[in-house]
Amino acid sequence: MNVIEIKNLTKYYGKARGIIDINFDVEEGEIFGFIGPNGAGKSTTIRTLLGLIYPTRGSAEIFGKDCIKYGPEIKKEIGYLPSEIFYYSKMKVIDLLKYSASFYKKDCGKKIHELAEIMDLDIHKRIDDLSLGNKKKVGIVQGLLHEPKLIILDEPTSGLDPLMQQKFFDLLKAENEKGATILFSSHILSEVQKLCNRVAIIKEGRIVKVEKISTLKENNYKKFKIETMLKIDKDYFNMKGVSDLEVKNNMVSFLFRGNINSIMKKISGIEIVNLWAEEPNLEEIFMHYYEKEA
Amino acid sequence: MNMFLHELKTYRKYTIIWIMSLVSIIVLFFSMFPAISKEAEEFIKLMEGFPEAVRMALGLSVENIGSILGFYSYVFIYISLVGAIQAMNLGTSIVSKEIREKTADFLLTKPVTRTQIMTSKLLAALTSILITNVFYVVAAITMASLVETNAYSTKLFFLVSLTLFFLQLIFLSLGIVVSVLFPKIKSVLSISLGTVFAFFIIGALAAITEDEALRYLTPFKYFDLTYIVQNSSYELSFMIVAIGFVAIAITASYLIYCKKDIHAV
Repeated sequence: MNVIEIKNLTKYYGKARGIIDINFDVEEGEIFGFIGPNGAGKSTTIRTLLGLIYPTRGSAEIFGKDCIKYGPEIKKEIGYLPSEIFYYSKMKVIDLLKYSASFYKKDCGKKIHELAEIMDLDIHKRIDDLSLGNKKKVGIVQGLLHEPKLIILDEPTSGLDPLMQQKFFDLLKAENEKGATILFSSHILSEVQKLCNRVAIIKEGRIVKVEKISTLKENNYKKFKIETMLKIDKDYFNMKGVSDLEVKNNMVSFLFRGNINSIMKKISGIEIVNLWAEEPNLEEIFMHYYEKEA
Repeated sequence: MNMFLHELKTYRKYTIIWIMSLVSIIVLFFSMFPAISKEAEEFIKLMEGFPEAVRMALGLSVENIGSILGFYSYVFIYISLVGAIQAMNLGTSIVSKEIREKTADFLLTKPVTRTQIMTSKLLAALTSILITNVFYVVAAITMASLVETNAYSTKLFFLVSLTLFFLQLIFLSLGIVVSVLFPKIKSVLSISLGTVFAFFIIGALAAITEDEALRYLTPFKYFDLTYIVQNSSYELSFMIVAIGFVAIAITASYLIYCKKDIHAV
């Protein structure tokens, strides 16, 4: 079952592009990454899903219901964490959380304390007095306290230190295991790589690819760096599957895609001093992909 | 209900401050009344020294300043000015506050309709105004009975006082329309002060020129206190205009608010 189904979703701000013909589905129980540079349309898509802005064309369904028409009903089961957190600054954390909980017809008291403890959040402080990271924690607790079935996160990690980020990811994984579906937007690929099953790449308002993270990595390049004993002919490694070949004195580096045995045989044909073979991280795949598209 | 209570709580301090200002103004004015009424003759002479245009602009109907109702209708201009600022301020901040303080995302991603949000905010603002009026009217009537030794019609006194509420309703709805149309208002006070004073000046002009048509342009002249005192009733045509304006403004606010995009900050 698909929790989110987006069909030809298009939004123009006047004449300015927001998003154009966005299509993708998020399946129940998955952690879905939504990647793209700033201004690509991630927030626009998410804000349309939440009914904060209205689409110019197309539609989106959440839990099988139109996200605009049945907005209030759907939102009972959605937890949302915006990229920038601003709350009623004069309230105490606990009062804000209680106010937030009062919108859902269930008792969230226990969950609030549980989450606050995990995130190490002092709930008796005024929101004014909190640092950016701590405000973010309020946002996290606020987004999860009603145990939503769908969690939508818009660049959620800014301002969190690495330790907290890890706790937050563990928390998300735990919620996911309990059955929550997660839509996670980010421009930081390493966090998407850590967490997500599938990913949609958005660029200049259009989806350029929807792919499993594992496939994205499998179908891709390996990075080779070889130090040779003697200077070699610069075309020695110029074969099928090799790209970005660079020869500098005794150092050779290239990207390879294809059967690993063929490249190993080629390498065995020369005397080498050292060899590095690396999986490219998602970032490099992504950049490669992006540049190719551009 | 939770939103209504939350809003009401945020207006609490604000409401108390405005109640205190209105009450102190009326206490101050009425405590001057015994002195003025005792020397009404002298006072009228002094007033007649002013050019007629100035007297009209200030709403001084010199003849009856010695009676409590005459005096009241004179000082009421300032009460209504203060009340209008309060209401306009409140109306303008209703929606723009969420945008300015960037809390719109919080409310609008909760399982509530925009209509519910608007209604809660509107009712909270209305309650704030209502409470203000109750305190004000009680203070005004108490003061009047303390300073006036002659008998006077409490009904008229009440009718005059009630126009504060109507005036505030008009400015509240005006403020709400402004706030849904221009949600990015940075300074609520400058907008509301500017608008209220503009209408106040139009009102003064209407008084000088005695132009009936001009009176329709400014809520300050919808309730002619001299007319109310003389006829024990409000002017029907202006009452209709006032109700019509409030109804249209509120409806428009709902429609615009439900249709608009809430942009990220």
